[in-house]
Amino acid sequence: MSSSTSLFSPRRALIIAQSTVTQLVRMKIFYFLAPVALLFLGLQFFDAVWFEGPEALMPEQELRMHKNICLGTMMLFTSLFAIVATALLIPGDIEDRTLYTILCKPVPRLDYLLGKLFGVIAVLFVAMLVMDVLLVTTLHFRTEEKLLQTTEYMTKIGYPEREIAAGRAEMAAHGPTMILQFGVLSHFLKACVIAAVALLISTFSTSTLFTIATSVMIWIIGSFQSIARDGLFNDATFGEAPSWADKIVGTLISLIFPDFQLFESISDAAARAEDVLYSDMGHLFGLSAVYVGIYVVLSWFVFSDKEF
Amino acid sequence: MSEAAAVDVKNLVKDFKGPFRGKKVQAVRDVSLSIAPGEVYGLIGPNGSGKSTTMKAVLGLVAPTSGSCAIFGKNSTKVDSRGEVGFLPENPYFYKHLTAAETVRFYGRLCGMRGRALRDRIEEMLELVGLQDARDRRLKGFSKGMLQRIGLAQALVQDPRLVVLDEPTAGVDPTGSREIRDLILTLKERGITVFLCSHLLEQVQEICDRVGIIHGGVLVNEGRLDDLIALEDRTELILENASADLMEQIRTLVEVTYGADLVSEGRARTTLESLFLKETQRQESGKGRLVRSRKVVKRVLK
Repeated sequence: MSSSTSLFSPRRALIIAQSTVTQLVRMKIFYFLAPVALLFLGLQFFDAVWFEGPEALMPEQELRMHKNICLGTMMLFTSLFAIVATALLIPGDIEDRTLYTILCKPVPRLDYLLGKLFGVIAVLFVAMLVMDVLLVTTLHFRTEEKLLQTTEYMTKIGYPEREIAAGRAEMAAHGPTMILQFGVLSHFLKACVIAAVALLISTFSTSTLFTIATSVMIWIIGSFQSIARDGLFNDATFGEAPSWADKIVGTLISLIFPDFQLFESISDAAARAEDVLYSDMGHLFGLSAVYVGIYVVLSWFVFSDKEF
Repeated sequence: MSEAAAVDVKNLVKDFKGPFRGKKVQAVRDVSLSIAPGEVYGLIGPNGSGKSTTMKAVLGLVAPTSGSCAIFGKNSTKVDSRGEVGFLPENPYFYKHLTAAETVRFYGRLCGMRGRALRDRIEEMLELVGLQDARDRRLKGFSKGMLQRIGLAQALVQDPRLVVLDEPTAGVDPTGSREIRDLILTLKERGITVFLCSHLLEQVQEICDRVGIIHGGVLVNEGRLDDLIALEDRTELILENASADLMEQIRTLVEVTYGADLVSEGRARTTLESLFLKETQRQESGKGRLVRSRKVVKRVLK
């Protein structure tokens, strides 16, 4: 046992990640998927009355609403899950003094932090996968049903075959497509960034409640900061030039808090079945990696000198 | 080249900052101690005297304000030093969602163990602490004594050369306490160094080779236990099956012939703990065997 211990060991981080997954699974954290499943299934039986009659020629609006609700639910649950799960882990280990016994083994503190984060991300991935399967399945049946209804309706009122085919193609684009998966992926990446934020806060926080409250606040600021920045920097918005103080505040906010605008815009595009470029997804991956990397390095910086 | 000390604390000072830039608190003041390999060292002192802070500094959980701590020659603040250490904190808590076997496995894996060696070690440790029957039970249902025992198992899983125990028998019943004490003595026989903090001075006296007394953050006395507690001008004799005639002769020899003072004389007493253990073990074994009475005469000669 006298071999030297490296600064970071993927194997040790993996052991802690596995333990974190076991911990979260045995905390019955996946129970939260039950109401999500019920909501997704319930949407199958919900027909928006304002799309009946002649407006039934636009059933893609109904599919869009289905996707909007499902993606919004997935975003809400994964973001909250990322915050709560991460906030429970490190302060919990400190309060229970479980951390003493772990750090008294040859475990670098970076391994511990990364292990906890990887564990939460692994559980997030599984939860997202389950919700994605539910979304794709329910949306598939819903799309098939609408395609059938629309074809029947258009045939009945005498639309030519070519227009019926075009209508079907347009509607199929609102079904379970690759673009929809980009939307799901954007929420997963956003949840990973939020988990990294919660990890940073939990390294200096003294309680789980503080970690949760602060992380939720950062999540909200991150979701709306681009709108605020537009207000501060864009002259056209309020009709007057921003002051230096406004610019400084805006820059500070953009440096301190993550900007979730890109994540949201890809999700919105997926719900509207608009094209999402692979380069946009590459940009999103890069941005997520940078955010997670920065928050992990900051967490390590705080945690490496923390005394217990 | 001489072997490095198992624990080497040099001029350790630890200050804690008060809240809101308040007055700093000096928890440990210039403490130096050295524990040789294979020794059982007890650090005793009242609450808030700096025992735990010293222990945490040795384990790298707090950084010294000044001075240094080393384990087998390796700086305690470095992760490398912890490969040789097993630590049992006071009132330990482990992941309640894990079973006993999973807990030992988790800590073993953290120490780099794997495969058959780890599987064998898990069974060995559970047997050592008497938890084989509870190996698949989750820790959330464990009693305090059982948690203490699983704590010992995880501390010893990588076969460390140094074991650090903070109040190892806190909250444990006398039987469990005795088992832990026996285990520490077994570790000693195997050449493992033990560094322990305890409020139970009787236990410390029974198992430690050397003792340090810390008060107000200062190590006020330190040395071999026998040297520290010996009364220079007194001698103790314990006789078994001594007749009244022999006793009379001894009295005469002491007081008349040599002019010494016979301070006390009477039946030697066992401890309440020993009596409790003897009675409970007798009931448990169901043998109902009578404890053999011994006539022991204890004399303290001056």
